[in-house]
Amino acid sequence: MKKLPIHFFTVCFLTIAITFGFTGCGDQDQSQQNGQDLQNKKAAHAKHQVSLSIVSGSENKALAPVFEQFASENGIDLIITYMGSVDIAREIAKGNRIQYDAVWPASSLWFSIGGSSSLVKHTKSIMRSPVVFAVKKSVADKLEWCGKDVKVTDILKALEEKKIRFAMTSATQSNSGASAFLGFLSAFAGSPEVLTHDHLDSPELADQIKRFLRTVDRSSGSSGWLKEMLLENYLYFDGMVNYESMVIEFNQELGPNQDPLYAIYPVGGITIADSPLGYIDKGEPEKEEAFLNLQSWLLSDKVQKSLRQQGRRTGLIGLDMNNTNTAVFNPEWGIDIKKLIVPVTIPSATVVSEALNLYQTAFRKPSLTAYVLDYSGSMQGTGEAQLKKAMRTLLDQNIAKEFLLQSSPEDITYVVPFNSKPIAAWKAVGNDEKTLTELLTQVESLNPAGGTNMYKAAANAVKLIKEDAESGKYHTSVIVMSDGASKGSFSDFEQSLSQLGVNIRDIPVFTILFGEAEVAQMESLAKTMSGRMFDGRKDVVLAFREAKGYN
Amino acid sequence: MKRFFGLIILLVIAAVCGVWFMLNQKGTSDYSIPIPGKASTLTKVTGLAGSEKMELFADKEIMEILERKENLDIDVKKAGSVEMVRMTPRAQDFLWPANRVNLEYYQETHSDVMRSADIFNSPIVLYSWDIVTDALIKNAIVQQRDSIYYVIDLPKLLELITAKKTWKDIGLEQLYGKIMIRSTDPAKSNSGNMFAALIANTLNKGEMVTQESIKEVLPRLNTFFARLGHMEHSSSVLFNMFLQQGAGAYPIIVGYENQLLEFANAHEETLPLLTSKVRILYPFPTVWASHPFIALSKKGVKLMEALKNEKIYELAWKKHGFRSGLSGGKSDPSVFKIPGIPKEINGVMQTPSASVMNMITESLLPLSGIK
Repeated sequence: MKKLPIHFFTVCFLTIAITFGFTGCGDQDQSQQNGQDLQNKKAAHAKHQVSLSIVSGSENKALAPVFEQFASENGIDLIITYMGSVDIAREIAKGNRIQYDAVWPASSLWFSIGGSSSLVKHTKSIMRSPVVFAVKKSVADKLEWCGKDVKVTDILKALEEKKIRFAMTSATQSNSGASAFLGFLSAFAGSPEVLTHDHLDSPELADQIKRFLRTVDRSSGSSGWLKEMLLENYLYFDGMVNYESMVIEFNQELGPNQDPLYAIYPVGGITIADSPLGYIDKGEPEKEEAFLNLQSWLLSDKVQKSLRQQGRRTGLIGLDMNNTNTAVFNPEWGIDIKKLIVPVTIPSATVVSEALNLYQTAFRKPSLTAYVLDYSGSMQGTGEAQLKKAMRTLLDQNIAKEFLLQSSPEDITYVVPFNSKPIAAWKAVGNDEKTLTELLTQVESLNPAGGTNMYKAAANAVKLIKEDAESGKYHTSVIVMSDGASKGSFSDFEQSLSQLGVNIRDIPVFTILFGEAEVAQMESLAKTMSGRMFDGRKDVVLAFREAKGYN
Repeated sequence: MKRFFGLIILLVIAAVCGVWFMLNQKGTSDYSIPIPGKASTLTKVTGLAGSEKMELFADKEIMEILERKENLDIDVKKAGSVEMVRMTPRAQDFLWPANRVNLEYYQETHSDVMRSADIFNSPIVLYSWDIVTDALIKNAIVQQRDSIYYVIDLPKLLELITAKKTWKDIGLEQLYGKIMIRSTDPAKSNSGNMFAALIANTLNKGEMVTQESIKEVLPRLNTFFARLGHMEHSSSVLFNMFLQQGAGAYPIIVGYENQLLEFANAHEETLPLLTSKVRILYPFPTVWASHPFIALSKKGVKLMEALKNEKIYELAWKKHGFRSGLSGGKSDPSVFKIPGIPKEINGVMQTPSASVMNMITESLLPLSGIK
């Protein structure tokens, strides 16, 4: 009899344990025993907060308010990381090691390069935008291009006759640049069904694409920034290669009596950015559900209508949307939604990779770059190590190749280290491994010490590159990195420029913010010199890569 | 009272045994979750299916039948039909590729097939646009009969493609460039793979290619697909691109018949545009996708049997455009609001054997960047 209670409790315990264990009605501890799948399922049912991380092309930054609205309405953490197309393709190429839950490049092209076939699922295009060649309407009128079919060879002719000064993003750093580059390559190859390795080996094709790319007046690593730069310097340019949506935004931001840009859809050389959003399945159902909800929401009438208002083409059937707002898709700007757009076929991944490598090392207009680098005492330790790592990324050609930032045989690279004054000026011409390694050794051998005055060093760099910069043969860039408040002032720098007789527009200055650098100083230097400031405080290597992508 | 204690213990033991026994009958499940209002539990079944069937698994009515009546909880992931049978699946209960050849390949290379059955039938079709179809009709490549468009001269269309003729050459002034049919990657996706089979047979003068005759056809087949450049890995992605980017970007693509039917059902608001602009072209003869279900476990078999359900067949046709695997391909087209759907598919060409299809796939692998 004494044993009865033990039996009783044992049986009761077993009953509860077995029943709850098998029916899954237990608490959190029980569900853990039943594996991760059950936990996920329960979490989804319980509507616990879910986080969804997306790596997206920078062109989607404008949609940030839309994302915020979705995240708050659905109680999820939406973490968006904006990257350039090459970096997104690098992420996709990581396969299962990718840390993001979803990818959203500007174009399916980057899925192809990243080799995504079994990795990405639920892929749907959110919006479309053709990549166009846009010129001032007055220029289009003069060239008799309005309302006509314009071929890529017509464009090359006008460029070589110096009738158009234009800007285009780098093919290896931005989707619009890559798309246009592939489009023009295809046209110069005689519009085959698809571009092949044989075409890329053709000297005639190399000649034509080089001639075209060498007429580009200004390069950039970002389509959005290119548009902004053109708005600020419209006097000096006649056009740009960019998304149709960027041309629309550009014209909307122009003053009332200014000459709008007129979109040309080059026959035989056009491409479409299709903005595909895809999910990376790691077996987490609640994330998948959140992703599908986000995707449906982006494709809902409400959001699609708002995207249309921003100049993106939407709709389920065809590119010719019904009932579009002509104030947005304005025919006066050459925007032709009824036009049958025949894009070039995306070549196979290996052909695209070879084409982009050739762009970087042989076809593009050469770069003239001066790195003005802070070697003040405060850089000692981590700062110095990070700076040297960044320079290794750009000068070691094996590493640079990973980011499609290799030098070409005609590139010129200067390094001007400074503290309270310029310390030295080192130069490397071309992409010879030995030459660039020597330059890197000099960068790595120097130790930081002393105060900070970036203005003197920047002026020195301008002086060094002035002659080459004014030749028009190079995409020029001065990249200034500093980690502290600088002595001297911008007016000292301006004065030096005026003594040198330098036109501000000819030598863009990019700045990289690091350590305790003063934002106001760095920003005004970049802005006045028609450049851009990059924040390297979290990742200076990335900031250097981004800055280099602009020439 | 002491006597009752003994009885209580017996009853509790009996109850425990009862629960134990009941659960063990479905005891292969990874876990079970209760269904509200039901004493029963769900068996989780895990597997891979081709992209063309993903909407079927997202269909609440069909899932309701599988859950409520069959107590099944399906966890399915999308995979290319060719890819899924060529890789070693990790602990799947089922594979559901699109084509019988995929099953045959899997049977030849693996020994864990418990059972298999053809569940649906869908013919491979071409999707095109009004202006393109009109030009093909004028060139006697396509013929319209009883509102259905048939590709009656596929060899002629392939000849035009091989000869690198342009759209302008066949009187289609609006379209720039050369005549081409875009398909998914035949080394990854079944629709591309079956299209490769269809072209191979067509290039073989309409005769089914054999291990001997394929050797002569392969170089031409390779040239055809090499000219497509980057090929999508999924039928659904290609189909959406076709619809969204229009006649200029995708004049003709290869797809499954069910794709447009499913789309039309899901997006009724697009019906006027769909019926005026988009055309389904049935190659005559075409090839079937028979969607063989490959059960790799008892749970897989259970799902396979559960799918052979009249109501599921009816929903699969009405909502997703899959013809029943049982009715011999006869299905009532009047359930759809778009015209041009035949009641039955008459001209069907046999697909080559698995070994020949494997030769085709192997020869096209380098185009996918797969070595």
